[in-house]
Amino acid sequence: MGTAIRCSGLSKTFGASTALDGLDLEVATGEIHGFLGPNGSGKTVTMRILLGLLRHDRGDVQVLGHDPWVDAVSLHRRLAYVPGDTNLWPNLTGGEIIDVLAALRGGIDPVRTQHLVQRFELDLGKKARNYSKGNRQKVALVAALASDAELLVLDEPTSGLDPVMEAIFREHALEARAEGRTVLLSSHILGEVEQLCDRVTIIRRGRTVQSGSLAEMRHLTRTTVTAETERPAHGVTTMEGVHDAHVDGDRIGFEVDDDRLGSAIAALVDLGLCSLTCHPPTLEELFLRHYGDQLSEGNTVEQP
Amino acid sequence: MNGLVGLARLVRFVLRRDRVRLTLWVSALVATIGLSAFSMLNVYPDQRSIDAYARLFGDNPALTAFAGPGYGFDHPNIGVVLVNEVQLWGAIAMALMSIFLVNRHTRAEEDSERAELVRSNPVGRHAPGAASILVLALMNVMIGVALALVFTAVGYPVAGSWSLAGSMAMVGLVFVGITAVAAQVMSTGRGTLVLANGVLVVAFILRALGDMADNWLVWASPIGVAQRVRAFADERWWPLALCAAVAGALVVVSFVVADRRDLGAGLLAPRHGSTTAGRWLVHPVGFVARQQRGSIAAWVIGLFVTGAVFGSIAHDIDVYIEANPDFADIFTMVSGADLTSSFFAAAAAMLGLVAGGYAVNAALGPYHEERAGRAESLLASPLGRTRWAAAHVAVTLAGATLTVAAGGLGVGITYAVSVGDSGEVARQLGIALVALPAVLVFVGLTVLVHGVWPRGAMAAWAPYTVTAIIVFFGELLQLPEWTRHLSPFEYLPSVPAEPFDPVPLLVELAVAAALTTAGWWALRRRDIVAT
Repeated sequence: MGTAIRCSGLSKTFGASTALDGLDLEVATGEIHGFLGPNGSGKTVTMRILLGLLRHDRGDVQVLGHDPWVDAVSLHRRLAYVPGDTNLWPNLTGGEIIDVLAALRGGIDPVRTQHLVQRFELDLGKKARNYSKGNRQKVALVAALASDAELLVLDEPTSGLDPVMEAIFREHALEARAEGRTVLLSSHILGEVEQLCDRVTIIRRGRTVQSGSLAEMRHLTRTTVTAETERPAHGVTTMEGVHDAHVDGDRIGFEVDDDRLGSAIAALVDLGLCSLTCHPPTLEELFLRHYGDQLSEGNTVEQP
Repeated sequence: MNGLVGLARLVRFVLRRDRVRLTLWVSALVATIGLSAFSMLNVYPDQRSIDAYARLFGDNPALTAFAGPGYGFDHPNIGVVLVNEVQLWGAIAMALMSIFLVNRHTRAEEDSERAELVRSNPVGRHAPGAASILVLALMNVMIGVALALVFTAVGYPVAGSWSLAGSMAMVGLVFVGITAVAAQVMSTGRGTLVLANGVLVVAFILRALGDMADNWLVWASPIGVAQRVRAFADERWWPLALCAAVAGALVVVSFVVADRRDLGAGLLAPRHGSTTAGRWLVHPVGFVARQQRGSIAAWVIGLFVTGAVFGSIAHDIDVYIEANPDFADIFTMVSGADLTSSFFAAAAAMLGLVAGGYAVNAALGPYHEERAGRAESLLASPLGRTRWAAAHVAVTLAGATLTVAAGGLGVGITYAVSVGDSGEVARQLGIALVALPAVLVFVGLTVLVHGVWPRGAMAAWAPYTVTAIIVFFGELLQLPEWTRHLSPFEYLPSVPAEPFDPVPLLVELAVAAALTTAGWWALRRRDIVAT
């Protein structure tokens, strides 16, 4: 399997502010890659560099084997982009805008477009100024998904969509992968990334903090355990590899490193295990772990 | 009066939100009209010059269309000159203020969904609309009072001053009412602006036709009615009362309609457009042309009308200059040329300068697209940056040529009619087109500024503004002679007062092309600005 996108040590500053500070990103051909980070972490800047709209200061970037700054136009024939904040021409209708964008890339499949328009329940005859945010987003999505681009760069594509439309979007993203296309999807909706993505890259303050498949990441991390025992399980809280434990009568909740899971459960069994829930960390928890210090900073500010 | 709960607070809210905007409108209007009133006393210092003015305007239907009925021209005084100069344009300016600001606080506010935030509080259904109506009514009255005080202070008779100022304020008030109704009828802020401004254009045309033919049509126009106040010429006051009554009735109508519609909806649903793009729209040039066509049409009409006024004066200039040599000071004389030729040369430069305003605005298209975040959708497609920018320049070039040509045609047609020589149409068209290279220099400058300084591209207006000040006010402000050389119009031959010489035109075209190319070069090498 080839590599669709490869960034290493990518840096970008705007005047005094640093947007990217040595970011690494590798997206394999044919995968859906989640690109996660809080607001302002540099997701959009990275995508705009991948499109050749911005020029990076340091590092290397290759999109489909080319430098996006040098070969922007020829690369754009092979990729489609949905911007995070879709701004459309207020005096044109959705249908006209889809046609214009399609014509620029040399035409799209009308049957496929028609199908997508029906699925997304988009009114093509409305002027863009009368569209809601969700409908503007649909115009950009239809134009991108209907193209035959081998790479889809989607910047928070479901922002403004309702849950039904989100589900339809997920279907089409999976369909794109089934056709062998590559998708780079930025998001902070973790459920969406968990359902769709083969691998994720988590960035923060312009740097990659973690990258890999969800399975790989979970391996490195902890399992969340809640249990009821006959005797209070105070002993477990101090075991090696157990974190954030809290005991409430006969109930206990904690996180445990995966290589210590067995001994923790064994200890619970010894205390008379009545009920047990174990689940791998959700992306939410992975995410919070990476940005946890921000949260605790926030807490200390609120509770001096 | 449940519908008006929260009115006082909302009035304060509107005043607070727009304190800068409102102050600018009021001070700009009072300063411009007040200064005109003051300068009128110097431009027409004696009865002889006032008589000449009245003769010039009294006989010319084209000038009547762009000024007013000319009450008191039989026994003219300085007051009727003032009325003729400022009443129509002052009234239009106040109408525009009313249209933009009432819409801003009513229909446009609903578009932005901020209105919901306000209306979800214990606020009456009519309170937001009533607040904007009250504030704008107050603005119109304030401007009227301030102007009346200024007029009397600089020495105009009291009754005439108040009736003139009142007539302008009343037109503003009527358009407060018209916009309030339009905001109920249309379903978008933009639609409201189009409808209310459309009513203003119709009001202008009705009174122009009515004044020229001296018939009842003027009574169908609020501007026409307000002008019947006969300021400085045996005033009668009831037309002002009529305007006030119409304004009040329109406000009531807007409230009645507001009771019958949903927040966010209008009486007229938004029109549906085409669901597919035509062959022309999908081409980059056609796409830009579609964005600009309304603006180009407006500038073409504006330049044509301005040219038509120049052309209609041109013939009278021959005749009246003998009676009143002071008119020669209005424009720069070209040494050794006759008066009419000098006038045509000056008119062509002015038309070119106005067309330059279109050109700078149009050449800033890529800047606005970039700032609004729309450029990135196109630039993420296989459309290269240079082709994208070139499409904008191509449309700007075509638009600039059309606007300049429209000005020349306007001059040519009215002048051809007045001298009975159809050959003048082509000749005046040619004279106007001589100014085109200077217009294109502004296009090149704008492209360069946008290429080099994406966030500050509005600075491209600076060289244009400097040129406009030099051309229009150079003599008046007694600017040093070298400043004239800052204007690209200065280097072009003053045809027909001077012989035609293609060299300066070709040089300026080359300069424009070089500036444009440099701008594109810079554009290819910089980041596309995010919003």
